[in-house]
Amino acid sequence: MKVNKWTERFFGTPLFEPLVTFSYIFPLLYLMIFLIVPVLSMLLIAFTYDGNISLHWFKSILMDSYYLQVPPHGDFAQKLTTSTGESLYLIRGIDFGVVLNSLVVAGLVTLFTAILGTVFAFVIARYNFKGKNLFRIALFIPLLVTPFVNAYVIKQMFSEFGLINYIFHEILHVLPFRIKIDGLTGVVLAQSMAYYPIVYLNAYASFINIDPTLEEQAENLGSKGFRLFRTVTFPLALPGIAAGATLVFIFSLEDLAAPIVFHGDPLAKKLMSYQIFSKFIYGLGERSPEIAALSIIMLILAVIAFLGIRKYVSLRQYAMLSKGGRWKPRISKPKPWQALLIYLTLLPVLLLTIFPQIGVIMLAFSERWTTTVLPQGFTIDYIKEMLLNPDVRRFIVNSLSYSGAAVILIILLSITSSYATSRFKGILSPILESMVILPIAVPGIVVAMGYFYFFSAVTPENSPLNPTSLYGFNPALVLILAYSIRRLPFAARSVYAGLQQVHISLEESSINLGASRWKTVTGILMPLISLNVFGGAMLSFVYSMSETSVGITLGSINMDQAPITAFMKEVLMSAAGSINIAAALGVLLIVVQITAIVVVNIITKQRYSFIGLT
Amino acid sequence: MVEVKLENIVKTFGETVALKGIDLHIKHGELFTLLGPSGCGKSTTLRIIAGLDFPDSGQLHFDDEDVTYKSSSERGAVLVFQNYALWPHMTVYDNVAYGLKVKKLPKQEIEKKVKWALELVKLQGYEDRYPTQLSGGQQQRVAIARALVVEPKLLLLDEPLSNLDAKLRLEMRSEIRRIQRELGITVIYVTHDQEEAMAISDRVAVMNIGQIEQVGTPKEIYEQPKTEFVAAFMGKTNVIPAEVVERDGDKVTVEFEGLRLDGLTYTGENDKVVVVIRPERISLHPIENAVSITGKVDLIEYYGFFIEVVGLFGERRIIARTINDRDVIGLRPQGGVTFYIEREDILVLPKTL
Repeated sequence: MKVNKWTERFFGTPLFEPLVTFSYIFPLLYLMIFLIVPVLSMLLIAFTYDGNISLHWFKSILMDSYYLQVPPHGDFAQKLTTSTGESLYLIRGIDFGVVLNSLVVAGLVTLFTAILGTVFAFVIARYNFKGKNLFRIALFIPLLVTPFVNAYVIKQMFSEFGLINYIFHEILHVLPFRIKIDGLTGVVLAQSMAYYPIVYLNAYASFINIDPTLEEQAENLGSKGFRLFRTVTFPLALPGIAAGATLVFIFSLEDLAAPIVFHGDPLAKKLMSYQIFSKFIYGLGERSPEIAALSIIMLILAVIAFLGIRKYVSLRQYAMLSKGGRWKPRISKPKPWQALLIYLTLLPVLLLTIFPQIGVIMLAFSERWTTTVLPQGFTIDYIKEMLLNPDVRRFIVNSLSYSGAAVILIILLSITSSYATSRFKGILSPILESMVILPIAVPGIVVAMGYFYFFSAVTPENSPLNPTSLYGFNPALVLILAYSIRRLPFAARSVYAGLQQVHISLEESSINLGASRWKTVTGILMPLISLNVFGGAMLSFVYSMSETSVGITLGSINMDQAPITAFMKEVLMSAAGSINIAAALGVLLIVVQITAIVVVNIITKQRYSFIGLT
Repeated sequence: MVEVKLENIVKTFGETVALKGIDLHIKHGELFTLLGPSGCGKSTTLRIIAGLDFPDSGQLHFDDEDVTYKSSSERGAVLVFQNYALWPHMTVYDNVAYGLKVKKLPKQEIEKKVKWALELVKLQGYEDRYPTQLSGGQQQRVAIARALVVEPKLLLLDEPLSNLDAKLRLEMRSEIRRIQRELGITVIYVTHDQEEAMAISDRVAVMNIGQIEQVGTPKEIYEQPKTEFVAAFMGKTNVIPAEVVERDGDKVTVEFEGLRLDGLTYTGENDKVVVVIRPERISLHPIENAVSITGKVDLIEYYGFFIEVVGLFGERRIIARTINDRDVIGLRPQGGVTFYIEREDILVLPKTL
């Protein structure tokens, strides 16, 4: 056979190999059709006005003080009086207009989580103190996703008769007045509390991966204390911290749960994600160019952050420089005042941030939660109802089957794409590599809108696949596709990491001994990476179950086929049922997530890995 | 310049005893080498001198000052790490200037000193590069410049050449020696390579499993090893287990494989001994008054600038080395051969391994 210049150039194989070609083409086409095209299809609508290509919709957004309000509007805090005659400060934040509000909120959440995450990571990476392992476990709790109910508990905690006022105003008397947090401030608070462990995990990995000799050398040359941290330790960990913080920025930008929970305050509605969502919900059936334009603005912001961090981190591949030597981790026992500081500052923060998950569990087992500090009256009625009432159970079954189907696609996509990019260096490799991780940068609500425009344009009118169908839209396919795209990066990273652990000579010797490519992949490679595939698949499954953006938009068009999250949103927004049943579903999701983490831990003997950006 | 004294330094890591009581006295302006196989404790000793590890017991003095528990940042004993430990986020200039900035020197003085240090290691013009943009040898030079620029009392080098290729290793070896002579500083050097140790050092301490086996000049260590370990570690040599069969004061006769060597000097008590003979001290020509042993040729190995003849004496292989290829004319595998050795070139040591 002759060397094929084309396959060599594109796929990195000198001879044409069907399996390798498939490994490139399948994920590339899939991502092209179900991610790139739907998102780009919005461009057509957003840039069209009166049949011509125009910036009209962007201009009208950016000229409208509803979207851009400079200088900002409103008071950060207002002094009120409670029904009991005490003074109450209502903290809602100020209004910069929808677009800037989103940026300010995401910026603040990024800042707060970066600081908290870095401090926790540094302390846990560098100090051995009593209870450290409990700290480490507790730091995973805020990562347990319970859409809506988690933010609901935070809202209750910071309400006028909530837990925070109870502790700081009524018991400790450190607050001379009551506070109530609502509006944009509530969103910032809820997101910061939920997302800081993402920075923590990334920063922690960075801190423990710093070659200790780099710090020893600085110490040896006379540096110590904060100078050592500022000049050597922190700059070396910065890529990891920045990667985690960027992830938080994107998550905050696209988050719908917190704005929906706080939507009783009109200020919380003035965020891009909520605007797109509510305009979609109330103007269903219309392909609004304004939503498309707003989605594009949001997408651009997220993609800029994503590309920026990829570029920044690739410029700082520090790990490569170290060439062995002794590896003596820099862990010390804190001095008494340091230990005291850890217990007096970090412990309260930790307790505060794990309370939402505890609150969700309490709420699921309680009768009511109105103006009391904690939920009242123990009952298992809601757990029973969730498991026995077919009207609730239906949503669980829907979510399970959509997530299961998505995981099968994800496994196929992550194996093919990782095999192609880790083994062959054609010019398509870096493109595929970026495309597989790209879904992280595409806000869920943008995917939802993209799918809406795409599927309503390409499917036959009034067919069950068309979201604008008059005879009942079936969201099953759309949701499975959306889950498979949105949760692909989790599994792809895991599989890619597994492939990098397997030396290529293992495959080469198999081929050299006469095995075919197929035989080599299935007989040698697959058994070696099966644990990584399993771990990635579990993670993807778990996060498909709790997927929000697409589930509560396209998924809620037809409630018969809706997923769990669509039902939870209904409960929260329209008081269609009791919030406790949403909490019960939250508990179910917590159980699923903990089970997955434990099973993955036991089977793969790997630490739970959360998604990163690099 | 400083004198370093270690007294009975003991260090354990968990269950393992890394150092079992180290005593050393390193003089002013000396290039002193700690030599030993990996895991012998030489790097731990160096880290204790640098203040990066602290001993469980024992004392460390710089001149008359007890520095045993002084922090590394205040000790002025600068270590060049095996992996160079260059900070990847700083340029060459910033790496070298770091120690001076920590000392809060005026900017102009820092510039002057960095320039001096980079000239010393022949890296002028590389100030703005990042470590990743340098070759291994250049990275090594930056690490040395960074250490020297703070004018340390004591320079510590931990296997500084182990990451370089063979040619560069020779070049950097003489470079380090040149700089040390030029500045006249005390240097403690750690290596596992005996050839490197001999070429570079004023004195060498040979270490094994947490203990010092012998301290001396390279010549002493090579020619008069005091223990079996030192003899075996210092290059390719013949270490032949044997037994003392006759004693007459200091003079003994030893026997191995039925061969007897008489008139050798040995003062030890144990009759189990090893006979140490350097291959290059074995002659293939008759020498008067020398001992001789006759056996079979096992192998003749051609190395280029020397040739080795492996003789088989009973079950025992003994290597002879010659630089003259005419010496091996007439020798062939399985043929007979006689080795001649002067008595003073035969060392008898107690068997300890």
